[in-house]
Amino acid sequence: MSANNPYLDDLSRGIIRENPVFRLLLGMCPVLGVTGYLINGLGMGLAAAAVLIASNVVIASLKNFIPPQVRIPCFIVVIATFVTVIEMLLQAFQPALYEALGVFVPLIVVNCVILGRAEAFASKKPVLRSLVDGIGVGLGFTLALGILALVREVFGHGTIMGPGPDSAILLFGEGFEPMALFGQPAGAFIALGLLLGITNVIFKKFNIK
Amino acid sequence: MRDVLRLSITLALVAIASAALLTGVHNVTEPVIQEREERDYLEALERFFPEIDQFETEKINGDTYDLVYDQAGEKLGVMATVKTQGYDGTITYNLAINTDAEIIGILVVSHTETPGIGDIITTDNFQEQFIGKSFEDPIEPGEDVDIVSGATLSTGAMISSIRRTLNTVGENFLDMERQAFEFEDLDDGFYRGTVDGTYGPLTVEVEFRDGRIQTIEIIEHNETEAYFVDAYPEIPQRIIEEQKLEVDVETGATLSAERIVSAVKNALEGAPEGENGGGDN
Repeated sequence: MSANNPYLDDLSRGIIRENPVFRLLLGMCPVLGVTGYLINGLGMGLAAAAVLIASNVVIASLKNFIPPQVRIPCFIVVIATFVTVIEMLLQAFQPALYEALGVFVPLIVVNCVILGRAEAFASKKPVLRSLVDGIGVGLGFTLALGILALVREVFGHGTIMGPGPDSAILLFGEGFEPMALFGQPAGAFIALGLLLGITNVIFKKFNIK
Repeated sequence: MRDVLRLSITLALVAIASAALLTGVHNVTEPVIQEREERDYLEALERFFPEIDQFETEKINGDTYDLVYDQAGEKLGVMATVKTQGYDGTITYNLAINTDAEIIGILVVSHTETPGIGDIITTDNFQEQFIGKSFEDPIEPGEDVDIVSGATLSTGAMISSIRRTLNTVGENFLDMERQAFEFEDLDDGFYRGTVDGTYGPLTVEVEFRDGRIQTIEIIEHNETEAYFVDAYPEIPQRIIEEQKLEVDVETGATLSAERIVSAVKNALEGAPEGENGGGDN
């Protein structure tokens, strides 16, 4: 069915077949940097997704107006604008998340997933399909960050929905000694590598290409 | 030519649209951010002074000082909100001081120090060493507080800023007075003194004659040259003119200025090197 409906195809492609993290290995900086806790990983994924969706729609609707020679600067201005908007909104309404994500929020500007979708998809396709594509890839990115962050938080801290004592759920009781390695940046590489291996096996098994 | 024009106009239009959108969002978010900062500010006041009933705000040199009173109108203390230059950007912090001029609390409001290195200034471990320190204490690295190695600039900046803030609060709001350093009875001669700077020692030679400081020369220093010009020769001139060491050290290079003063003090505390001085100069 998905093969016949271009919108469904656009949506599922970003989540599964061309998942930016697990299949394309794009935009790895925040993937490794902020996935120490599930809440930070999801927050980062959603922030990037919001920027991606907005920039995809704007770029798709401007594609006939922007001359090809200056398209990259224009894309960057559009993306940077939405990143700054998200940054201000986070600072105003989600201060804790804003503090936790720190420098990775402004760094969304140079996330190659977003510029990649602008260049490869939104600048060639109609607005509605670009919107759906943005939602798909954004969800795929968020999903990947969420899974990686969940694995790292569970093994590295023994909690879910941390940090902080009020919201954190201790999974294994007080006696659990967390594997600190997973909480560290180096542990992000190892966890990501393991996850990539697992997803590759799954993809192979179900013959998804 | 027309092509270039078209390209520039397109880019300009995109940039203008972007600026308009950003202005709009800024106008919406700014009041919310400010309101939250104000709330955090009041919460800090209440945490440091649980019996707070009212406070009045004064400004000195661009920093804010809140004089806190309880219900009976009794002064509880002062909370200073101070900006200082860290290793990378501005550090803003609250310093709560009770009426005995003792530090009762520190809260770093915002900073951009390096994560994992300079952000040690936000930890209890670093901040606790200041609690209970009073106007009378030197608050001098190596004497009664410690610089954290690896984060020398961040922690050093905090230490000297806290010392200055405590000084300002004590003198302006708590009727404290620093005991003047007396040197009128010294023997004539040349005195040398050295203090440690961030990058190495700073040595001065002071010529003392007829009960007065005559000249102050820098023998050696390892300060950042671009800043040091703000402190020298300005600070020695002030000392010579006023004939006291308690001069105003607010310059473009407050740290270097303070070091010159301490070096002069260090020199006058020692014995004169001889009548002629200037050995290796």
